[in-house]
Amino acid sequence: MDFQGIHDRLVAIGAPGLLGVDLPRKPDPKNKKDKGRAGDAFALVDAQALADFLEVCRDDDRLKFEQLVDLSATDPAKDSADLWINVQLLSLKFRHRLAIKCLLPKASASMPSTVRVYRASQWHERECAEMFGISFVGHPDPRNILLPDDWVGYPMRKDYEFPKEYHGISCE
Amino acid sequence: MLSLENQFEDNVLTTKVDWLINWARLSSIWPMTFGLACCAIEMMAVGAAHHDLDRFGAGAFRASPRQADLMIVAGTVNFKMAERVKRLYDQMPSPKYVIAMGACATGGGPYYKYGYTVVKGVDRVIPVDVYIAGCPPRPEALLEGLMKLQEKIRNSSVIRRPARTA
Repeated sequence: MDFQGIHDRLVAIGAPGLLGVDLPRKPDPKNKKDKGRAGDAFALVDAQALADFLEVCRDDDRLKFEQLVDLSATDPAKDSADLWINVQLLSLKFRHRLAIKCLLPKASASMPSTVRVYRASQWHERECAEMFGISFVGHPDPRNILLPDDWVGYPMRKDYEFPKEYHGISCE
Repeated sequence: MLSLENQFEDNVLTTKVDWLINWARLSSIWPMTFGLACCAIEMMAVGAAHHDLDRFGAGAFRASPRQADLMIVAGTVNFKMAERVKRLYDQMPSPKYVIAMGACATGGGPYYKYGYTVVKGVDRVIPVDVYIAGCPPRPEALLEGLMKLQEKIRNSSVIRRPARTA
């Protein structure tokens, strides 16, 4: 199925948390500042319902997204109020893919863990947690995965300030 | 010395203690099996047949720091690894030598500005004898670095060792 077909199916089965779509578009020729948007079509999903949404995507007979390819986050801009959660799903049976985007406010970056649906998301969520400061409620092993345990700050946030020293090693 | 001439049989040599011990040390610099990033691939190439580190007596990569004389820091050192590097260095028996291979180990390399977890030069953690430029250095550059280290050992004195700067 193409994106439109997947979206129609999601609407038809009443997938929880589906908010809409984010489609790529061409630049507006009348407005020179409008650069359009390249890339994939996204399904916009409520972050708090993401786990339920993924469960439907995995189990529905016409969708069958067996594999979670990626779960990552983006800090789009310093003055943006939201973080993005980006999820890529793949169906090996039907050979179709789905890109999902959730908006998560920076002020309260907390959402339910999706590990109960896809075990593959364990490491992805740990990385998102340490790099962006997102807390995934219900994660079975919420340690840092890459950074040292006593690391201060979230390096992938746009407003991150670099450390001056770490354990006596100067960073200047 | 004149009185000693022709006093020994054919297989006896006379030499200075410094020369002998330095010769022994520089001819068997056993490195530690230890690679951190892409520089380690070049280091492996040096160890393999084409470049053949064994020509310098330095091909015996030891799997334990306690048997190694040389630590080739081949790659990016981040803070998490720096503590391990320091511990491995402390576990090596003296005399011990360190080669900082490549731009990352020398000074942070391409991660100097935005690498939030990268140590900007392994010499902030352990003392370094030889720095090798390159990203990654060619195998010939590592051989050159090793020869520089041999030269350094050759000119050192066993009796009065020059003070090492930490």
